[in-house]
Amino acid sequence: MSGADVVRKYDPEFTKKVYEMDNGKWVKMCMQCGICPTTCTLKGIMDHSPREIIQLIRAGDKEQVLKSNTPWMCTSCYTCSCRCPRGVPMMDVMHDLRHLAEEEGNITNQTHMAKVYYNDVAKRGRIWEGGLTMKYGLKLGIGNAFKMALDMQDVGMAMFKHKRLAVFPPKGVKNPAKLRAVLDKAAALAKEEG
Amino acid sequence: MKYNYYPGCASEGTALANYHAFLAVADKLGIELNEIEDWNCCGATVTSSVVGEFPAQVLAARNLALAEKQLPDHDIVTTCSSCYAILGLANKKFTEEEFNQNANEALKEDELQYSGSLNVRFLLDILANDVGPEKIKATVQKPLEGLKVAGYVGCQSVKALRNDYDDPEYPQAMDNVIRALGGEPVEFENSNKCCTGALALSAPDITLSAVHPIIDGAAKANADIIVTPCPLCQMNLDAYQAKANKKYQTNNTLPVLFITQLMALAFGLDKKTAGLDYCIVSPYNKLSNWA
Repeated sequence: MSGADVVRKYDPEFTKKVYEMDNGKWVKMCMQCGICPTTCTLKGIMDHSPREIIQLIRAGDKEQVLKSNTPWMCTSCYTCSCRCPRGVPMMDVMHDLRHLAEEEGNITNQTHMAKVYYNDVAKRGRIWEGGLTMKYGLKLGIGNAFKMALDMQDVGMAMFKHKRLAVFPPKGVKNPAKLRAVLDKAAALAKEEG
Repeated sequence: MKYNYYPGCASEGTALANYHAFLAVADKLGIELNEIEDWNCCGATVTSSVVGEFPAQVLAARNLALAEKQLPDHDIVTTCSSCYAILGLANKKFTEEEFNQNANEALKEDELQYSGSLNVRFLLDILANDVGPEKIKATVQKPLEGLKVAGYVGCQSVKALRNDYDDPEYPQAMDNVIRALGGEPVEFENSNKCCTGALALSAPDITLSAVHPIIDGAAKANADIIVTPCPLCQMNLDAYQAKANKKYQTNNTLPVLFITQLMALAFGLDKKTAGLDYCIVSPYNKLSNWA
């Protein structure tokens, strides 16, 4: 398909929606100077640089933004926000975009990982790192899980041999139900505030 | 010196070495640690992408509330970079009245409240400013003479809460500790590049491409060992080192220790207390004088 045949849809509602998210105000603050891509750990792997993502949000190019791997490749190293002349916490914008992408059904391996992680927090209050690996594997489906186990068996065995993967979950918080009540209340308050 | 201590989830698994070594080192330095009872996971940088920013911050704040209740007027110290960033950023939010009010309304569900009275501090901050190099020097029994140490600080502990206790671009606090222990900190290429943190599990090839230049930089600077304060950095540089060697046809065997482990050795504690068996790349050859 030649470039001329591609119809790009621009949706101003999408721009508004991102502006209203927790860190939407920072999207407005960006002056497109391009410092962030020069500092970014994984810019070579991202399909759009952080600066481009901001511009695509402003243009309303919902599809490009939400299917981009950029938010998922952000390692939250905070380097770009250190150097940004306007102090934009880019990783927080990326976290918002992940949340939005997931709502729109754009699921990546990192989405699975985040879900598995959060489920452990909500269930036990603490992370069981050993169990996390297994549950993440199951999310990938049996074929992919098998491939991952094969690829990673050297790392896994080394961790296990040096007693760094707990076979049984360590104790969680005393009353996880109350912790969940706190989280539910916080989610409800966030929704109210819009 | 008395602190609320937040160990974090890694201290119960992948970073057990850091947990045990820190307790022993703190004891030697006369630091009293009060582990926050019933602490919960800080949520790391992944929780906000699942539930949104506010609930993620409240999750972190539950620990602050517990600390304020259990040991008021004492700072919180943590040994994990990610926990430090998350707890520290949540703590800052309590100066905003609206956030403070809403967060406390949510915390009420667990009969907790938090006024924002505590400071969240990282291990290296405590060592640099509360303990100080003189006290560290005075505690050393086996100086690390002749040991070249590549200090890899990682990102989140210096870059998340900036203008804090160290320079985010050219951190010095850990090198000063290495010096106080009698070791020689070496500068090396890529020492301020990210190890990609938690991507190690969901995108291991990307992590390998990031840890390779860091390990290689330290090797080219003739470092004997790499030292870090961060559980994720330690795991990525240590557990993925053999895999990175295979992929990039290198032959690096650089032990990766937590700074607390190195302190334990210099303080004359045995290899078991220093948790050397938790290291995947064997440290015994390079550290035979101390272990």
